[in-house]
Amino acid sequence: MDLISALESLEPELEAGLAQASSLEKLEELRIEFLGRKGRLAKLMSQLPSLDPAERPKFGQRANELKESCNARFDKVKDSLLAARERASLARFDSSTPGRKYWQGSLHPDTLIMEEICAIFEKLGFDIAQGPEVEIDHYNFEALNMPPEHPARDMQDTLYITDNILLRTHTSPVQVRTMLARKPPLAVVVPGKVYRRDSDLTHTHMFHQVEGLLVDKNISMAHLRGILTVFVRDVFGPSTEVRFRQSFFPFTEPSAEVDISCFLCGGVGHIDNEPCRVCKGTGWVEVLGCGMVDPAVFEAVNYPKDVSGFAFGLGVERIAMLKYGIGDLRMFFENDLRFLQQF
Amino acid sequence: MLLSLSWLREFTPYEGTAQALGDRLTMLGLELEDLKNPYAALSQITTGYVVSCKQHPDSDHLHLCQVDVGQEALLDIVCGAPNVAQGQKVAVATIGTTMPNGMVIKKSKLRGETSHGMICSERELGLSEDHTGIMVLDSGTTVGQPLPDALNFDQEVLDLSITPNRADCLSVLGLARETAMAFHLPLTIPEVPLTFGNVSTDVSIEIRDPNLCWLYAGRVVHNIKIQASPLKIRQRLQAAGIRAISNIVDVTNYILLELGQPLHAFDLGKLTDQKIIVRLANEGEKFVTLDDQERILKSTDLCICDCEKPVALAGVMGGLNSEITPETKIVFVESAVFNPASIRKTSRRLGLGSESSYRFERGIDQRLTCQALDRACAMMASLGQGVVDAKLNIAEPKPFVPVKIDFSLEHANDLLGISLTEDFAKDVFTGLGCEMSATTNPWQITQPSWRPDLTREADLIEEVGRVYGLDNIPPALPPMHFSWERVVEKQPEFAFWKQLRHWAQGLGLNEAINYSFVGQKDLDLLNLPPEKRIPIKNPLSSDQDVLRTTVTPGLLASLRNNLAQGAFSIRLFELCHVFEEDLDAETKTLECPRLGILLSGLRHEPAWPYEPEDFDYIDLRGIIERLCAYLHIGSPSFVQRETHPYLLPVIDILVGDTCLGTLGRLEPKIADVYLAQKPVWLAELDLAALDNLISLAKLQFKPLAIFPCVRRDITFIGSEDLKVGQILAEIAKLKNPLLEDVTFVSLYQPEGSQDKHLSFRLTFRDPKRTLKDTEVERERDKVVQALLKALPVRI
Repeated sequence: MDLISALESLEPELEAGLAQASSLEKLEELRIEFLGRKGRLAKLMSQLPSLDPAERPKFGQRANELKESCNARFDKVKDSLLAARERASLARFDSSTPGRKYWQGSLHPDTLIMEEICAIFEKLGFDIAQGPEVEIDHYNFEALNMPPEHPARDMQDTLYITDNILLRTHTSPVQVRTMLARKPPLAVVVPGKVYRRDSDLTHTHMFHQVEGLLVDKNISMAHLRGILTVFVRDVFGPSTEVRFRQSFFPFTEPSAEVDISCFLCGGVGHIDNEPCRVCKGTGWVEVLGCGMVDPAVFEAVNYPKDVSGFAFGLGVERIAMLKYGIGDLRMFFENDLRFLQQF
Repeated sequence: MLLSLSWLREFTPYEGTAQALGDRLTMLGLELEDLKNPYAALSQITTGYVVSCKQHPDSDHLHLCQVDVGQEALLDIVCGAPNVAQGQKVAVATIGTTMPNGMVIKKSKLRGETSHGMICSERELGLSEDHTGIMVLDSGTTVGQPLPDALNFDQEVLDLSITPNRADCLSVLGLARETAMAFHLPLTIPEVPLTFGNVSTDVSIEIRDPNLCWLYAGRVVHNIKIQASPLKIRQRLQAAGIRAISNIVDVTNYILLELGQPLHAFDLGKLTDQKIIVRLANEGEKFVTLDDQERILKSTDLCICDCEKPVALAGVMGGLNSEITPETKIVFVESAVFNPASIRKTSRRLGLGSESSYRFERGIDQRLTCQALDRACAMMASLGQGVVDAKLNIAEPKPFVPVKIDFSLEHANDLLGISLTEDFAKDVFTGLGCEMSATTNPWQITQPSWRPDLTREADLIEEVGRVYGLDNIPPALPPMHFSWERVVEKQPEFAFWKQLRHWAQGLGLNEAINYSFVGQKDLDLLNLPPEKRIPIKNPLSSDQDVLRTTVTPGLLASLRNNLAQGAFSIRLFELCHVFEEDLDAETKTLECPRLGILLSGLRHEPAWPYEPEDFDYIDLRGIIERLCAYLHIGSPSFVQRETHPYLLPVIDILVGDTCLGTLGRLEPKIADVYLAQKPVWLAELDLAALDNLISLAKLQFKPLAIFPCVRRDITFIGSEDLKVGQILAEIAKLKNPLLEDVTFVSLYQPEGSQDKHLSFRLTFRDPKRTLKDTEVERERDKVVQALLKALPVRI
């Protein structure tokens, strides 16, 4: 057989071989047999000098064409074998395997609410202030316009350490301490634990409050309403409405309870013809108490007569219960992981 | 305060609904808590007429009645009451009616006769305890009407929450005054005609301390017949939540509710020498109050006495020794004003509150005191066929002097942030009953005698604000200020705790919040010293009678709760203050900030691919190491110590010379009490110390190494008690400048062998050049030789 026909016969043989190649390994063997350094094509090429010089270019050109087309055929088969292998391994991959269960940490709902509230007021320019949980009567009551034997003390049943030392019943003593330490103008927000001698389904004898105080010249109740409107809209949504209801606290005058339009029913009082469970059908939810600082409180801290200010306070657990739909107050301090890990 | 709408209407012609009134009063600061119909249960009871009544053929006490209840047919009812008779108007429960006690009336047979209902006694209707016979209604009563309608009962009652400043609203009159003002209605006190008898009885009144009793007035009513009050009076008291007793006592309560003036009625025959002395009790004096309790009095308790003995605890409760009994003939009626603080002190000390003390504590309208007395006497005379004595016995050492208050409308508008007109403000003051001189600026406003809370301009500003409606104040934003002082202030504890909390949460711990108080026994269980604890004087229970001195008991209580719920892996942390006595502090208390961490149970939730392994020392220590790294305060060292009240082993955590806290394992005996079967690992860090370390820490960048490092592993074999720390310490002693790091990489104990194989990875690096293999081998060998010499180990 002459060299040319030997060259031409390579391609059909390779074709037959490729059709049989079932694995990448077989394919590689075939490639070495035909296209390897000592393969059949190389052997034919090595006989080139034996050809008539006139035929050499033609042979050489043909051999190169053949090499390229064979390589292309190999690559094509190799790609399809690789793709088949990927497909096979993908078929074994189980994307439904659950992820590794790393530890799931959580923050207490009281923390979430306190941090959220404090962040809103810090954004508005309030500083955070804190004070002791064990207080003296003077800061907790007297300086807040609640002298001994004042009936308003009934509003806050107190846990005492001695006759004069007690567990603070509200965060308000921090108002007094802050005003004694700083001159107006000032704006502070006070988060913290408070204590009452009161325990039933809706009261725990420890709970959390956040209290705010702003003192400056020419502060009016309109400013109080403005600040609280910003606050409740941040927490409960931008369309929340605020209602001020006359009330009484010894350390503010006038005093108001603040209701917000119910965030669940939108203030209409019912959902699908059933009374709303959050506002009990009234359309309003009580969220905090507030008022203009009573002149007696300014007097107790020797503030000048030309300042005015407002204060407000809210129960953290109450806000958490409203916001997250928690029904039972006692859960807050049982620390059941099934509760904690939801936050 | 329970307010009957029909009673209110006797004072002011309010014609709207109870709900509308309640809503308006709520916005005025008198919050409507509830709208009640105290007689809802009687709405099914109907009025009837006994058409005929004859003896039951087979019974000597039963009667067969035919009763007209306004239906076509007469009802046959068998009635056992002795007083039932033909021609009576009666209250009838027809078949199917549910009685106030829950019983349902059914058709029944009594000795062969069918009964189609029941004729009711007052007790069966819940109106009184009287069950001697059926209730006989007024002959003019309409037949076939629901009983509460026919008898004009108070069926609309507003339950109002009255804040402590509004003493004036603890009466029908006071609430009528608010209603009249709010709805622009007239206010009138209905007349009770009073005629005096031809007697004048002196009862001398002596007030020892005029500061404790400002006014004491009394009048005698003669020839009284003690009996039950008419139904209308009894029903009114019942609707207001007060039990009817007898005509005399009922009148005192009726006037208290109506006018807000507490009254007391004495049996004059029991007052020795007909004399009243208002004085403080003798220390230790014994006195039996109307509730039959013996009280031991203190020298701070104000008493009403006769010549010999106390006869009442002033303003709180009367005495058994002068009580009105069915035999009483002559009554002495007291109407007084006492010092509110004094009444409150006694009432609180004895835990004895009454409708009277509640009002005295808050303040009484002193100008109404005598009017209330006369009104009461007139009613008593009318209800008990008595005669009112002409003599008013009175001592008033401290007459009411109204405060005159300067009021500037400008101040009010500035504080409220609105623009009220002069006319509006004048209307408000008129409605409140203030005298007013508005020709000058500021105006001069005179305090009404019934408003002890109005003494300052701020109080008046609140009044115009509340009548205008605080809810009508528009929102505005205040200017905010920034100062240099604020910038340099130290960050508050809250911010520091926030940083720690978020770190712990990110690490995978769950934040717990426990009560600040625990039981003394909880601290005892942990073998903690009894000194410096802070007990609570009036705890709610002995479980919570002392402030916590460590975060541990709370975390253990949370552990127990979670184990009871079947939790597998418990990782809790808590940030809080613990408390100890500090006699130098203003509050005699030191509040120490702490971080507590508790690990117990499985290291990981039982889930693929984790092996079920329990938490161990290295878990908790790793957390502490991670915290120190996070805060850049340097590596902590862990020093095991011998003893601790409740941890074993116990390890102190030190950074430099500062002790940050301890960690360790809860002693199994104590863990048992909390039902924990697996090891409980606890750490408690002093956050004041930690904060201090943070303030000293300097975060400084170290340039990255340029030349490569070379790593060599060495395994030391030693006995079981060989410690990792011994080897690390010995290596550290070498101070080899080329040795950059030593890491403990594996621990192996061949089965059946007493040996322990500890492998370490040594990292060598020269910052200035690449190390040659031979050099590294030489350095490694130095380490090996030094260790073989220093410790009983082999390679």
